Amino acid sequence: MLTVITLALLGLLWGGVYLLMATGLNLIYGVMKVVNLAHGDFIVLGGLLAFSLFAEAGLNPLAAFPIAALVLFGIGAGVQFGLLERITAAGSEGELRSLLATFGLSYVVANASFLVWGSQFQSVPFLEGAVQAGPIAIPAGLLAASLAAFAATLLIHLWLTTTITGKSLHATAQSALGAASCGIDVRRVRLLAFALGSAMAGGAGALVITLIPFQTSTGGELTVHAFTLIALGGLGNYAGAWLAAELLGLTEVFAQFYLGSNAAAAVIYIVFIAVLVVRPQGLLGQAGRV
Amino acid sequence: MPNTAARRARRSAVRLTILGFLGLLVTPAGQAAEGPIRIGLSITETGPYSPPAVFELQGYKLAVARINAAGGLLGRPVELVAYDDQGNPSTAVQLYQKLLTDDRVDLLVSPYQTDLTSAVAPIVNRAKKVMPSLAANTEAFSGRFPYLLQAMTQTTRYMIPVIDLAAAKGYQTIALLVQDTQFPQQLAAGVRAEAARRGLRIVFDETFAPTMTDFSALVLKAGASHPDMIVGATYLADSEGIMRAAKSQKIGAKMFAFSIGPVEPEFQKGLGDTADGVFGTTLYFPTLKTAGNAEFVQAFTAMFGRAPDYHAAVAYASLNVLAAAVSTVGSLDQTKIRDTLLATTAPTVAGEFHLDKTGIQIGYTSYALQWQHGKQELVWPADQQTAAPSLPHPAW
Repeated sequence: MLTVITLALLGLLWGGVYLLMATGLNLIYGVMKVVNLAHGDFIVLGGLLAFSLFAEAGLNPLAAFPIAALVLFGIGAGVQFGLLERITAAGSEGELRSLLATFGLSYVVANASFLVWGSQFQSVPFLEGAVQAGPIAIPAGLLAASLAAFAATLLIHLWLTTTITGKSLHATAQSALGAASCGIDVRRVRLLAFALGSAMAGGAGALVITLIPFQTSTGGELTVHAFTLIALGGLGNYAGAWLAAELLGLTEVFAQFYLGSNAAAAVIYIVFIAVLVVRPQGLLGQAGRV
Repeated sequence: MPNTAARRARRSAVRLTILGFLGLLVTPAGQAAEGPIRIGLSITETGPYSPPAVFELQGYKLAVARINAAGGLLGRPVELVAYDDQGNPSTAVQLYQKLLTDDRVDLLVSPYQTDLTSAVAPIVNRAKKVMPSLAANTEAFSGRFPYLLQAMTQTTRYMIPVIDLAAAKGYQTIALLVQDTQFPQQLAAGVRAEAARRGLRIVFDETFAPTMTDFSALVLKAGASHPDMIVGATYLADSEGIMRAAKSQKIGAKMFAFSIGPVEPEFQKGLGDTADGVFGTTLYFPTLKTAGNAEFVQAFTAMFGRAPDYHAAVAYASLNVLAAAVSTVGSLDQTKIRDTLLATTAPTVAGEFHLDKTGIQIGYTSYALQWQHGKQELVWPADQQTAAPSLPHPAW
């Protein structure tokens, strides 16, 4: 029984880490209907920035977190303004071109990172101990990253539903045309969404590099993982992404323990396919929106 | 009449051209006897896999520089012909093809890594060129490619000193965590065999996917078997993941040891204090009391501004044993060079170079290192140690 509780706790916490890495992607998709294929590379870039800030300046990842987020906010704004906003084609063709543009961008980011940091795996030692809760040792770093993820998701949700800017983001997500006709500056909203989504990737990287070593080529895997998660939850749906993250975290940990680590990698995708067969729109996605 | 003259002129022109071609075919060989002895290779100079490969290239370069400084080989200077394969096996194949047919190099040394060595093995072997190979896995040396000779410790021997140390301490049980790819799998086979030979029991044995990042459940499960040792057949990222999971879930053992991971400086940078006490393996250490090692470390540091690692050492050693065999044979006869290498035992900076009859390396061994107070120390075997091993691992 103790084992089951421990596993459940670990699964929920890892779910939080996965959520942390996916929320930015979800935000960008929700507003722009673009899957940013450079998302994982942004996470790695944020992580490696945190690594350098730690190695060169002794800054711990919590202090590096806002810096990495800010740098990626700038990069994201630049990418949106200089690249994605220039793609004028409408509808699905515009989405396809944006997708290809971010695909190219992922190579640019990964290779630029390679020139700066080289190819070795890097990581940052931070909160490596345990928080003892009765007989259960809870990994401290994992707990911190998960709490940050839950806080970030909650803040985004509140911001989107209660502030004017947030509401205009939400409105643009539902219908760009409708939003524009209500006087919302859709270009500004998109800029903000992409920059904010990128900033969340950067911040996530700064925390996750304390749990998972990154190398410059790790980005692709992280993008796939984050995309799996938001697709499972229902693209652009925050509560769905949270649910999907917990489902993936729990599945992974329990499958690893009871079926073996090798099987776990497969089980996650079996769950993914099974959910999408029954609910093609994702766990909480609305039918027809995808 | 003018026609015949023209025809005659054309015919002689054709003859001249043919002669010219023949001349082209003949002269390089004739000239080569005078020129330098050229040693060809491709190496991963750029790309994600380049850092260890650059160490190898520098090892080769140093060996060539020292051979030239000592008067060359067979009275001729030695020259390295190196191309960048970017870590791509098919590029390496094209480059070795070029080295053999265009450049017509006199000798070959190996690219970095088992995959690339396996890729070029067929063409190198078909060309009957001896190639001391820096590949730890043994498939290429089991008789299929008789011109390939292993110039690196074989994979199954990597963890022997760790098991030996554990046996000396009276440890009895091992939990073995194995990344599910070729090199760690072969390495784990070596651990199982050596453990059985020394009377240690494997109480937990599980593989994991190379993409795995969350080790918490695996380590929890390994800890449930209460092993004396947690041993990982891993690469850097896995070894860090396992140590993080162990510490943050307070899963203890008397000894933590990994194949690849602790040998890299990034292991300590990434884990901080958690790295202390962890064991790793290495094929070389700058303080080793092997033949010529002190001079090697000094010359390497002077030439490249950093201390050599094991890749540099095995590359340096492999070119040197090849050159020594050429001197012994007195010519560039590849079959004789191979037979000489198969028959000799040569002391090198990386240990005693000694091959079995199919070309598998049985001379080179491995060493156990341990992180102590943020520094790597060579701890086993005892006659080479820079510090005594610190055991058992303290409780978290």
